[in-house]
This record gives sequence, C-alpha cells and structure tokens, in this order.
Amino acid sequence: MRKEPIDPAGLDWTRVSPKYLTVRLLGWAVGTIINVAIFSIPLVLRLTDVWSGFPPMWVVWALPIGTLILSIWRGILLPRQVRAIGYAERNEDLLIRTGVFYQRTMVVPYGRMQYVDVAVGPIERAFGLCTLKMHTASPGTNASIPGLPADEGARLREQLSARGEAKLAGL
Amino acid sequence: MTTQDQTPPENPVAPDGSLLATSEDQWSRVHVISPLVRGWIALVAIAFFAGQDLFEGLLSGDGMPNFSDSGARLPWAIAILAGIVVLVAVGFLLSWYFTRYQVTEQHVRVNSGVLFRQNRQARLDRVQAIDVVQPFLARVFGLAELKFEVADAGESAVKLAFLKLSDAQRLRATILARAAGVSIDPDHPDDIQEAPEREVLALKPGRVIAAALLSGTTLVLIIGVAVILIFSVTLDEAAPLAVIIPLGLGVAGGYWGSIKNGFNFRAAISPDGIRVRYGLLDTRTQTVPPGRIQAVGISQSPLWRIKGWYRMTVNVAGYGVSASGDAQARATLLPVGTQAEALQILALVLPDPGTGEPFEVFSAGMAGRDSRAGFVSTPRRARWIGPLEWRRNGFAVTDTALLIRSGYFWRNLAVVPHERTQSLALHQGPVYRRFRVADLLLHTTPGPVSPRIQQVDEETAWQLFNEQGVRAAEARRRSLPEQWMKPVEGAEEALMPQVPSYDASAPVKDLTEPAEAGPAPAGEDESAHNGQR
Repeated sequence: MRKEPIDPAGLDWTRVSPKYLTVRLLGWAVGTIINVAIFSIPLVLRLTDVWSGFPPMWVVWALPIGTLILSIWRGILLPRQVRAIGYAERNEDLLIRTGVFYQRTMVVPYGRMQYVDVAVGPIERAFGLCTLKMHTASPGTNASIPGLPADEGARLREQLSARGEAKLAGL
Repeated sequence: MTTQDQTPPENPVAPDGSLLATSEDQWSRVHVISPLVRGWIALVAIAFFAGQDLFEGLLSGDGMPNFSDSGARLPWAIAILAGIVVLVAVGFLLSWYFTRYQVTEQHVRVNSGVLFRQNRQARLDRVQAIDVVQPFLARVFGLAELKFEVADAGESAVKLAFLKLSDAQRLRATILARAAGVSIDPDHPDDIQEAPEREVLALKPGRVIAAALLSGTTLVLIIGVAVILIFSVTLDEAAPLAVIIPLGLGVAGGYWGSIKNGFNFRAAISPDGIRVRYGLLDTRTQTVPPGRIQAVGISQSPLWRIKGWYRMTVNVAGYGVSASGDAQARATLLPVGTQAEALQILALVLPDPGTGEPFEVFSAGMAGRDSRAGFVSTPRRARWIGPLEWRRNGFAVTDTALLIRSGYFWRNLAVVPHERTQSLALHQGPVYRRFRVADLLLHTTPGPVSPRIQQVDEETAWQLFNEQGVRAAEARRRSLPEQWMKPVEGAEEALMPQVPSYDASAPVKDLTEPAEAGPAPAGEDESAHNGQR
C-alpha cells in the first residue's frame, strides 16, 4: 500500500477484507452490463433501421463504447479504491480514510457518536461481510466502513458503543 | 446578585407551580380559539368563495336576489354553507379537545390527533431552544405559540399553539427552570422567577432598512437591470424589458423578508441563555440556553463593507436546515450590526475567547487577510487555486474556539467552540495534492454555518486535524453540564452573569442605556403589551 500524503504518520490502518473487492467487482460488473445495455439501445434501433438516418452512425457507436471504456477505467481503479479504505481505532476517536484521487480522512470522536448501524446486503452476506456506519449529530459525518468481516463488524459495534457510553458528551 | 442594571421585574414572569402536573392525569389544553387562529385561511377562503357566489347572484339579479327564479336554490346554498361552517367548527373543536399537554418534573408531553392519536414526550433537559411565536392574528388575540426544540434537526418536538401570551411565557420560564436544574422548593413553588435578563443590543428600524437596501438583493437588482438594458439596447427591442416585472417582484420580496425579520430586533442575555426578539407583523422570541450554539457564522456582503456591517448566523441543533425565510430568520443571531456589536454578541456565545487579544484576532477574522493576528492562510504556492481569496482563506486557533476565515467578495468567518466539534475530515483531490494543500471540514449540526478551512498547507492541516481532536476531547471534559444551573454553589454568580465583553472599554453601557432610559422596560412586559393592544 502506497503511503498517501495525508495519511498520518505512526498509525496502523486496518484495511477492509479483500473479499470486499469481490463484492465491489460483482456490483461493478452488473452495473457495467446494465449501463452498456442501456446505451446500446440507439445502436440496436439504428442497426435494425427502426431509426434511419439520424442520429449519425458514429454517435450511436460512440455511446456504448464510451460507456464501456469509462466502466473499465472504474473497474481498474476498484482494487486501489478498496485497498485505500482503512480505519484506525485510537483512544479518543476513530479514524477512517477513503479515496485514491479524492482522498478523505475523517476522525469521529467516540463521545460524539449518537448511534452505530451495521448493515448487511444480500451479496455482502454471501461473503460474510457487513457495513458499519456511525452517526453523529451532524449529517456531514458520513462515516461508514464497508466490507468488514461480520465478526469484526460486531466486535467494532460493541466496542464503539461501549466507548461512546464511557465518553458520552451530549451534543 | 446585583440589582441596578437588571430589567425591573414589574410584571414578573415566574415559573408557575400550577403549570406543573402533579399527577399523571393532570393535563391542560391550549386556548379554545387556537384552531380558528391556525385555520383562519381556510375560513377566509370559504367565506370568499361563498361571498363571491352571492355577490355575483346579486349582480346578475339586478341588485336583488331573484327569489321567484332561484327561490328554491338559495336556501340550499345557505344550508350547504352553514353545513360546511358547522363541519369545520366541529373539526376545530375536536382537534382542540383532543390536544392536551402536560409538563412534569422531567418531561413535556403532548397528546394530539382525533382518529390517529399521537403521544409525544420530550425530556426537558434535552431542550435546545424555546421559541415563543406570535403570528399576526395570534397577536391580535393576545395568543402565542410555544415551540420546544430538541436535537433532531427536523420539526419542533413540541408545538403548543396557541396559549395566552402570559401562559406561554410562564410555561417557558417553568421549562427553562426545570431544564436548568433549578430545584424548586415544594412548599413555595412560586419563589423562583424567570431568570432576569439584560438587554445587550437593539436595532433601530433605519439600520434594518438601510441594511436591506445595501444587501445582496440590491446587487442582484443592479446586475439584473444592467443585463436587461444591454439586451434591449443591443437587440433594439423592448421585449426583454418585461423581465423587469418578475425581477422587481423578487427583489421586493427579498427586501420585505429582510426588513420583516430584522425589524425591532433585540438581543438580551440571561442565565437561561441568549434571548432574541424580532418581527414586524409576526413576532418571535427565541431563547437558546447556554452551550446550545454549535457554530457561529459572521458574514459581510460586498455593499455592507461601506458601512462596516456584519450579519451573524448560528447553528442550533433544534433549528434544522431549511431554505425558507422563516428558518433563515430563526438561525440569525444578529441581522445587521457593526463590528463592535457583532463582537458583543459573539462574546455572549463565547464568553471566554481563549486569547489575550480577542479584538485583534476576531477583527482579523472578520475583515483581515494574510497571517495577521495568528491566522494561517493558504500558502503562496497554491494561489492559483483561488487567485482572489487565497490571502483571505485561513484559520486561527484560540484556547476555546477555532476561527475559520474565507471569502473575498462575500466575507465569512466561522467560529466553532472546541467542545462543539462533532467530527473532522480532511479532503484532498488531485489538484490540491499537486499544490500540497488540503481542505479541513468541521462537521456540525445542520444550519447555515458550514465551517471549512480551505486550501491549507497539508502538513499544517494534518497537524491541526490531530490537535483539534485532542482539543475537542479536552474541551468536552471541561464543558458545562447539561443542566446549566445544577451546580448550586455557583448559583449566586450564575443568576445574573455580567454581560461578557471582549474589550473592557467596549461600549456595553452605551448599548444598554437607551433601553433603560426608555419608558417601557425591555423584556417580557413589552411583548406582553404588543400582544394585548
């Protein structure tokens, strides 16, 4: 894992499960197929002569191909994006980092946590993963850790709730 | 407890022991005509349409209803109308009958709904703000609505509409006394009075009107008119001139909104927190208990620079975020004020500025640039990201708050007390990475202030990110208890705090003098007059 400039020094990031990459790739594949199918509709209509003359041939070809190229680019980035997700528990707060190009590092003090969500979707469940989400009084705190192994998610939830209670500080 | 500069309690609003429910089933109802005050628009609409029908009938019948022709129809029409009125009245009465409230030692409860019952209960010590609102018609009847806000950022937790104004004020005093943790002697429940308040600032109507005329609305008007003129001259057509009508309406609406909400603005301090009153037709009294203000924003639109005026907005957890003019007015702590007045109000929110020279620091934040007074601004290498504002962007840290400065034309300063920091985030995109800068976001409860330190050196940003977490944790440990009057040993001094000020020579006295010289003492009594006459 490459050292990112806004990563703090002397912190051990816990990375999310590598299986989460598979979940993301599955989602990505389904999304890509749907997108390409949608953007191929003009091409099909044009080739079957339902539409004739307009729009020009290069436009109807460019749509699905462009979509495909964009999707592939996003697919290539996915492994790096998944590897870039990390979290670190500290004494007073929890750090979360995401993003490759647009990097975000967030710190959520335990005492500020209002509640903790653990969500599991069908695909995530098949891989034994879950998504943990923390809520503070601010809607800007969009703190979620996806792709946690289920038992790690449960442990973290208990840990966060316990610490939140110990350091509770109202609003 | 000093007495000489308090508002003389001529008509003391005491927390009323009788308003507190002693048993589980002692409930009160709102005022009986309140559904009428709330639903008057529906009634006016019915009356309008019915009246219109009748009027048209009169006209077509040559001045007299033609009984021979429509003799069969007219009684029917009257019967239908009467039926509608009776139905509406019964609906109003039912909704009134089924709405009951109760204030106990720890909770306020409201039951409402006829078919779909709703029982709501809110903890008193969770209060974020209490408003007493008087819409115009309610003012005519001497009624008021009490709004009790908790931190859910949505609608008001408890709305009691409508009570008699004096009842609403007594109820507010009771709730605040309970929430503050004042222990009430069970034998003499009437002994405590509503915490006395001291007026800090009152705005003159002239200032409010001038501020509206110099606001951003005027800039829109000037630019709009210029664009329209250019179009109509270059196209040699008069058609674009028609756009002036909607533009004018919009601008007039903007002016009206800011005048209406800034009119008669007064701010006061009391142990129960900051209290502001304002309103031209509708009047509103807002009380924000200590420690409930999450962030303060001080902004200045370009034309206000001429007069050196500032506007202050706040994030309070209960107020929520909404673009409506009403919500904006609620989140305004000072519609327009000079720098000294803004600092005065800021001192109420943040009594301890956490720095030895608050005046220099805050004025550098409000109008300064570069690294004056301990501010850290965008490094020179990143000036191309924001060629104009890079010298304005910046932040400064005091012992108690973080100051965030931004904006070139529209100047902004956000002040976030350390103990109110929710969470922090560092953002860095590819361009920022190239210039080795980052943005630091402070998350706060929803509201008009969204603090974001822009384009700060990434090393500094990271350092601040780390330190701010520690400072926030430290400040939280030292922060006020939820029940702000609970520590009884400090109660004597807490009862009437000195009006905090950053500068010993600041004109605190001057600001309060006009209010004291005037015949009507500022405070509850005056709004009571407004309500009843």
